[in-house]
Amino acid sequence: MGIAFKPYPFVAERHAAQLPACHEGIDARRHRVAIVGGGPVGLAVALGLANQGIASVLLEADDSVCYGSRAICISRRSLEIIERLGALEGFLRVGLPWTGGRSFYRDDEVLHFTMPQDENQKLPPMVNLAQYHIEQFLLDAAKQRADLIEIRWQTKVAEVIEQPDGVRLKLGTPLGDYALDADWVVACDGGRSTVREALGLSLKGTSYEGRYVIVDIALDSDRPTERLAYFDPASNPGSTVLVHKQPDNVWRIDYQLRDGEDAETAVKPENVIPRVQSLLDMMGERGEWAPIWITVYKANALTLERYRHGRVLFCGDAAHLVPIFGVRGANSGIDDADNLAWKLAFVMRGLASDTLLDSYSDERVFATHENLRYGTKSTEFMAPPSFAFELMRKAVLTLAVEHPALRSLINPRQTSAIEYSASPLNAASDTFQAGPAPGAVLAECPLTLAGRRGDARGGHLTDLVTPRFTAFCFVDGGEPDPSLVTLEQRLRQAGLPFDLVVLDKQQPESHERRGGADPTGRLFAMYGARAGTVYLVRPDGHVLGRWHDACATDLEAALTHALQARIPSDLQEHA
Amino acid sequence: MITDSERDTVYTNLCHTMTRIGETQAPLFLARFALLAIEAIGDAAVAERLIAEARRALPETPPADAGEPAGR
Repeated sequence: MGIAFKPYPFVAERHAAQLPACHEGIDARRHRVAIVGGGPVGLAVALGLANQGIASVLLEADDSVCYGSRAICISRRSLEIIERLGALEGFLRVGLPWTGGRSFYRDDEVLHFTMPQDENQKLPPMVNLAQYHIEQFLLDAAKQRADLIEIRWQTKVAEVIEQPDGVRLKLGTPLGDYALDADWVVACDGGRSTVREALGLSLKGTSYEGRYVIVDIALDSDRPTERLAYFDPASNPGSTVLVHKQPDNVWRIDYQLRDGEDAETAVKPENVIPRVQSLLDMMGERGEWAPIWITVYKANALTLERYRHGRVLFCGDAAHLVPIFGVRGANSGIDDADNLAWKLAFVMRGLASDTLLDSYSDERVFATHENLRYGTKSTEFMAPPSFAFELMRKAVLTLAVEHPALRSLINPRQTSAIEYSASPLNAASDTFQAGPAPGAVLAECPLTLAGRRGDARGGHLTDLVTPRFTAFCFVDGGEPDPSLVTLEQRLRQAGLPFDLVVLDKQQPESHERRGGADPTGRLFAMYGARAGTVYLVRPDGHVLGRWHDACATDLEAALTHALQARIPSDLQEHA
Repeated sequence: MITDSERDTVYTNLCHTMTRIGETQAPLFLARFALLAIEAIGDAAVAERLIAEARRALPETPPADAGEPAGR
């Protein structure tokens, strides 16, 4: 055809298959957790478990990180999680940060939106990078935890056999087949999940008819990173086109197919090239370019009813498919992983009742419904499912320039952190004038981090979140309530990962414990806090409860309620 | 409140305007008018009630191209 494709500016390392020592065709070693799928979600689960000291074996069907155009936008909430997983550096080094975008109708700019970004933030609201980067950085972090994460490449699941105390997976590799027993299985094997199929489960919801062609191209351009949306552009009349900049001069272009257009014909390079060329002409991009990747996409809004099925837990696309508009795919999967990892670890270590895992399903099914609610609105605007949606969209687009109030209807409603406001885990709490309520994630705020030797440096509140329960104790030049210090000792004796962190209104001379100072009072105001206030935060950064004049019994009741497990009342029991 | 005479005038203007725009573009005109009217009303409950009243007695035709529920 004479059309030269370029490769992605990324060479994936290939990994050999391997067979474990087997006894009668079964892996001689029983595994605590088997994770199926080595994409972003599976890797995030493995890293989250490793943070809790839990070993896992990760089974990946392919021999390398992914190829092609998949997830490209990582949200601030995901970056916060990735920081706790120890992989943030690469994301910030390579990813392109951005804060907003523009939408055009024909020649007019009809919307200029910005995502929440202020001087309180540590991390950008969004970074763009290719999924092979996302997977590579998480894989690099996983290799640092080789003591706890074993990766088996080119290993496909053929059969899933549920057993009373675990799960047997029948596996196929180029070197031969074997079976593997695990106490728990986490299915992160994507939209066409083998595990889901093996258990006879199916996703329910809506599939949209509107189709988009996704084209990655190589193009040298110094245009800034922002989300560009063109409705009915002169270059592609009647179509909708999205443009995203990625690292290494890769540009992602999504354009909608017209009704009745044949998808197979439409993705042929000779049909794609002219459309991309006329788009670039319209944008004023004159540089040399070449296609890298072409595929077709249809929006789905589908989910399992529950994400826990006995000892099998579903995460990411294996559990739900959300439309790409609003970038909730990989981001919601990373959130799933973060929610599950600590809960599974706590249950396995006997720190929580088995029912904690049901709350994983409750919270994340709720999150999916929230994501679908927003994602569906975005999709209905980007790919109108009926003549009426199309008519009303045109009405909005033709009025938006002169009637700014209508522009909110064009806003792509980008992903934001989900608040588990009705979570069964949330603790009975006091009324606050400000700050994140139980179920919400922490609002970011700059503060001064206190070092052990009295040295101080600028930092942020989320720097103090570790994969433990953290009690943020607001004080005014003092120590936290002694009963809280006793509680901390008791919980640690019981093996429960728990930290008291002091947030002091005054700059202390030196501090015995980890904490920060808030001399400007900004944090106190933002959290509606006064001396004696405590925010108890879960290992995934969501608030569990908050109290003014908090005492140990408040926190203990909250933990007992969330974990459905009794905390030993004295040291003797676990001494 | 709008007087009978004002209502007459507005009604006639609406008809003349749509006549000039033509039948094919009339739905778009009405859609734009509806969006502006919703903003002017400034009350979601009133807007919802008006939608419900306007659709009353109008038969539904089965959606040919709406997103269909799919189990997969």
